[in-house]
Amino acid sequence: MKFHWFHLMPYPDLPDDFRARYSGVWVDVPVRELFDPARGHQAYNDYLDELEHAEREGFDGICVNEHHQNAYGLMPSPNLMVAALARRTTRAKLIIMGNSPALYNPPIRVAEEMAMLDVLSGGRIVSGFPVGTPMDTTFCYGENPATLREKYREAVALILRAWTEKKPFAFNGKYTQLRYVNVWPQPMQQPHPPIWIPGGGSVETWDWCAQNNFLYAYLSYFGYKAGLATMQGFWETVDKLGVEANPYRAGFLQFVAVADSDAEAERLYAKHALYFYNRCLHLNPSFANPPGYTSIATMRKGIEGQVARAAAMSPDLTWKDIVDRGYVVAGSAATVVDRLNEMADSMRVGHLMVLCHFGDMPKEKVFQNTERFARDVIPKLRPRYNEWEDKWWPKDATAPVQTPAAMQPA
Amino acid sequence: MNIETVRLASGRSQQVAKTGAGPVLVWLHGLHGVPAHDPFVAALATRFNVVAPIAPGFNDLAELDDIRDVHDLALHYDDLLSALGLDRVRVVGHSFGAMIAAEVAAHSPGRISRLGLLSPIGLWRDDHPVADLFGRPYTTIDKLIWAGGQPIGTMVMRDASTSPVESLVTLARGMTVVAKFLWPLPDKGLRRRLYRITSPSLVMTGAVDPLTPSLYAEDFRAGIRDAKAFVIAGAGHMLPYEQSNAVCEQLIPFMKSD
Repeated sequence: MKFHWFHLMPYPDLPDDFRARYSGVWVDVPVRELFDPARGHQAYNDYLDELEHAEREGFDGICVNEHHQNAYGLMPSPNLMVAALARRTTRAKLIIMGNSPALYNPPIRVAEEMAMLDVLSGGRIVSGFPVGTPMDTTFCYGENPATLREKYREAVALILRAWTEKKPFAFNGKYTQLRYVNVWPQPMQQPHPPIWIPGGGSVETWDWCAQNNFLYAYLSYFGYKAGLATMQGFWETVDKLGVEANPYRAGFLQFVAVADSDAEAERLYAKHALYFYNRCLHLNPSFANPPGYTSIATMRKGIEGQVARAAAMSPDLTWKDIVDRGYVVAGSAATVVDRLNEMADSMRVGHLMVLCHFGDMPKEKVFQNTERFARDVIPKLRPRYNEWEDKWWPKDATAPVQTPAAMQPA
Repeated sequence: MNIETVRLASGRSQQVAKTGAGPVLVWLHGLHGVPAHDPFVAALATRFNVVAPIAPGFNDLAELDDIRDVHDLALHYDDLLSALGLDRVRVVGHSFGAMIAAEVAAHSPGRISRLGLLSPIGLWRDDHPVADLFGRPYTTIDKLIWAGGQPIGTMVMRDASTSPVESLVTLARGMTVVAKFLWPLPDKGLRRRLYRITSPSLVMTGAVDPLTPSLYAEDFRAGIRDAKAFVIAGAGHMLPYEQSNAVCEQLIPFMKSD
């Protein structure tokens, strides 16, 4: 099993009454009222320290993603963060769980930047291609929800061709037309970095990933209990299509909080988890389901869910809610190992992305949580799935990898 | 109401509802399609032979696959009118349908003899922005289109036999069609084309339309060379359903006169 350290990069100073005062954390949350660049400077630098620390602690990958106009995701460009990380790390793979290809005009911009980062980092890139949330793609970046998925699929196809065709070619797409496609540079990994698809629960995406040999990653903030049905749907699709049920074709995201005891976990981490769930996840339902974003079949389920959710708008979550429901796997190392074994038994995911930072957690606690997870939890789970070959992971570089001068011993 | 399928020169098919007797009037529906008991269509049908195409996509989103923008859409309707043998015809549209009617009139001057635009969308002013029709749960759309925030009287835009969830799905499918042509702002160049409309035109808007401010009536009037505009007091975006009598009083004589 592989373990990746994922950062969302939330803004850490949302006010106590954020939920009462603002309609949501995303899209139209007023930046001038809430964002202090000096605090942002501190946060970005702490967050990069934390990602770099995860490499030192032995995580296989460090992981970033893309959001726009979002107070819990300060990474409109994950590629900039990975550029910084590429020069400060040497071993960990760099997992980019966004760029949404449909947002870039032309989409070969993504092919170029992934290739640059792959060459710069010595072949350490994992390239995620999410459709993107409705908030990011349609409301913030103006993409048409009725055509987004088709445009996305076309863009992914263009990027893959740009990485594999032997000669410059013309591309006459419905959404992009280019007379000459000839992307410089090309990735170090040949033919291209592993493709991971962060997805929701749509049947179409399961089919597409299984058929194209893309890794399917379910990124939910609601933990393994809520994610089980989705992962089962994916594995049923894999079976139906007769594709090898290799656990490494799947990834899952999970908050973890490790302490000396379950009570200590609450004392250390509850405040920060509550900041995340009650402020950062204060989502405006108006932006959750623009017309056409999902297929009619999925929309039918979504509408029922939306009505049901609106009817059941709950008051603020408590630490007990969050832990009992499995949103955060928290407690002593033994508790966390048990819960993650339970997760692995039921969900069969070879790639576990963990969030050791949540909400407004200070760096010392993040380091502590990261260290405990790396030292007391990972070794217990590491041997799982050893019998399978991971075909969705960067291979060791064939060429010598250069260490930045600043990182060489004096 | 009879539903017929019409085959177009493009190879596409188009469903058309027909009802009433009298001179032909083409009705281009708004956000809700053509419900079986559409009360405004019924009112028009007492005076006209109403021909009401169901906009492509409202039945099946696949119908939109090769209709990519408002130009394709306007030509699709032009093809439809040819297939129906309507070389010169009266057209009334509501909301999204009024925008289509104006686009057809601008793309094919001479095709439309008289043009009625009820609560038209398709123009944008920074000083009076159109409200966001898409950034809201489907369950709250009524608040944006009815002056009183909910359907009035018997003017329920769905069939009683349909479950609430299915009627929301129908609304969502229709909204996807509207989004395809109007996302993210309802400004796809119609203002630049209004001068091409040669048909005598009547524009009506609701004075308290929460979606499209009523002053857009004046923008349409000023842009179309032969147009009159009326603002109906107390009405919202669902103007023909909220104030059917006040609308018919102006619209029917206008559409009947030659």
